[in-house]
Amino acid sequence: MRILRLEEIENPELKEIYEEIVKRFGDGILRSELIAGNKLHLHVEKGFLRKVSSHIFDELGAFYCTTAGVDERPLGGGFRAYHIFSIDEKNLFIVVSAEASPSLPRLPSIANDVQGANWAEREVRDLLGIEFDGHPDPRRLVLPDDWPEGVYPLRKDFRYDLKEVPRVKKQYPMRRPEAEEYVMPIGPYHPALHEPEYFRLYVRGGRVVDAEYRGFGVFRGVEKVAEGRLTYTQIPFIAERICGICGFTHSSCYCEAIEEASGIEIPERAQYIRTIMLELERIESHLLWVGVACHLLGFDTGFMHCWRIREGVMDLCELISGNRKTYGMNLVGGVRRDITEKGREKALEYLAKMRKELREISEVVSGMSELTARIKDVGILSKADARKLSVVGPTARGSGLKRDVRVDHPYFAYGKVSFKIPVYSEGDVWARLMVRVEELFSSADIIEQALEGIPSGDLMAERIEIPVGVRGLGVTEAPRGENIHFLITGAENKIYRWKVRAPTYNNLPSVPIMLKDESLADAPIIIASIDPCFSCTDRMVIVDEKTGEERVLGAEEILRLARRGEIR
Amino acid sequence: MSRFTLLKKAKEIGVITERYPYKPTKVPEGFRGKPEIDPEKCIGCCACIAACPPNALTSLDENGYRVIRIFYGRCIFCGRCVDVCPEKAIRMTEEFELTADDHEELVQEVRLKLVRCSVCGRYYDTERHYRMILKEFEEAGLKVDPEVLRRCPEHRMGMSAEVIGLRRVRK
Repeated sequence: MRILRLEEIENPELKEIYEEIVKRFGDGILRSELIAGNKLHLHVEKGFLRKVSSHIFDELGAFYCTTAGVDERPLGGGFRAYHIFSIDEKNLFIVVSAEASPSLPRLPSIANDVQGANWAEREVRDLLGIEFDGHPDPRRLVLPDDWPEGVYPLRKDFRYDLKEVPRVKKQYPMRRPEAEEYVMPIGPYHPALHEPEYFRLYVRGGRVVDAEYRGFGVFRGVEKVAEGRLTYTQIPFIAERICGICGFTHSSCYCEAIEEASGIEIPERAQYIRTIMLELERIESHLLWVGVACHLLGFDTGFMHCWRIREGVMDLCELISGNRKTYGMNLVGGVRRDITEKGREKALEYLAKMRKELREISEVVSGMSELTARIKDVGILSKADARKLSVVGPTARGSGLKRDVRVDHPYFAYGKVSFKIPVYSEGDVWARLMVRVEELFSSADIIEQALEGIPSGDLMAERIEIPVGVRGLGVTEAPRGENIHFLITGAENKIYRWKVRAPTYNNLPSVPIMLKDESLADAPIIIASIDPCFSCTDRMVIVDEKTGEERVLGAEEILRLARRGEIR
Repeated sequence: MSRFTLLKKAKEIGVITERYPYKPTKVPEGFRGKPEIDPEKCIGCCACIAACPPNALTSLDENGYRVIRIFYGRCIFCGRCVDVCPEKAIRMTEEFELTADDHEELVQEVRLKLVRCSVCGRYYDTERHYRMILKEFEEAGLKVDPEVLRRCPEHRMGMSAEVIGLRRVRK
């Protein structure tokens, strides 16, 4: 890798940006390369990392995507952090990376300038041991509390099949409640949705005054397994299992990244099939969420109707792919299964029915004052906060940010269909609900156009060769927002590094902002409004401020105390 | 629109839940259920094992037999084994009710006889695979000394194409 000459960049907008960066930070740019026509990678000198990042984030108006840490010692380097930025309106990506020494890995933190990087930097520190100087909140994020210091699972000298690591006794340093404040834990596990998530709400009276989040209860190390054991063609199947609802978007994103890195052109028919399956998945996911939202608001009739409609799309996917949820259709280079004539007919039939039924339900829901009263002006995320945290998907679009990967960075067949992107400026739960409901209709539009325009032809690319040591960046719009896969290819049919950033990762840090000054009773729907899952409040922790000891009460004990009037 | 619309709608639709498991449910054509190996067709080439993402398929050579084993407890029903099988010996069935009391009930094993290397005497391939290769040479019009194929890859390595007999045929 070397410094790119200006003539080598074809994209005029990228050229202009690159010229400006080189002019400003000349000496700081050590090397540069194009990952793809619209994706620029700048390898900068450590001392310039903050300046270059701020320039891209503030002056170029880019959104922050994520940070990927890589142990590049076996490649003859040190540790490297890749900060990924997206300039939506110009369809560009800029990756800024800096190298830390192999013996004492330290890099300046960009989290003070780019708030969204807070979590990602902590994750890199946990998993690779790069210290970020000046990080505003250097607490542990991903690893469990009892994980020993100095053991970094994503380093290459950490074996993927290591069975046990000696544990230490330590507790996560949560903020202590102030006088008059009660702590209401929501979590650590949701009994129905099987998702671990721990929100610690600081409550004064019935109001939430502050909230903290401690997650990653089931950090599975999917990236490590893929890097350690799986081959390129096996990874799509583990990628699909990253999420139980929107798995196909992950396998598509991985394939997109590999295909782009290797210059594999997938047949047009395969692109259309991926698009159709992705949109069917969005319908399934959004209907699930609208149902759950109704359920959380106590409107179980709505929940039942949404899930009844959803069942149709599940059956349809089963018919097309052979399974309700894990479609298993993606391979590097194309898709494995075709959409048959019967599948096409059933899909069109279903979409027509879904449109009609959904319209009926959404009319009823929007006309129910007791329902809308609970979600209007509740859980507000301002446009400025949304931009600062670089939130994605319906969460961003509900807060007035018009960003959608399908339009900003078109992939597969999205450039060939036209559809509407709903944007609401209210920033409340109602806005996020409406965005999703309208997106259901957009998805139906996309599928109908795609089924109409799908060309005949092969399903797999003829030539599939993956070069060693190239970087790839795949981006898709998952039902919950922008989904990013960054990877570096390796030798022996294996991937060197695979970094996955699911959309909720960028959305979760916005929940404490939404919860602030809201009523405790609204917490479940606010937390659910970004479309993760929430856990029920069946127990409670009382902190004795003098000794700092914590006592966990069961539901019955809380009831008894409440009846005696000891807690309100 | 009144909220009774949905009640009316519910009445109109009636009960749509099925009486499963009391009444069996049907899966569509092309459903990816439990994969099954046809022991008559399997040649023990292990292509499925290399492709299997979760390592549900494994093989073990012992006492002159190769045992191809599929454990449904690990299987993710992706059907990659079906894709790569050169003999089309694996198919996805429509069976999906795989609950069992014992791990061993979730296993299918195929035992295939192995052949020995004529030089070192170690087992190196299944008999079926050996016969298949022999047949393929014949069908391609290539004459090959069967003794050559009876050698393990290691002892075959030093032999030139001439010895194997390929050059003569190409003329």
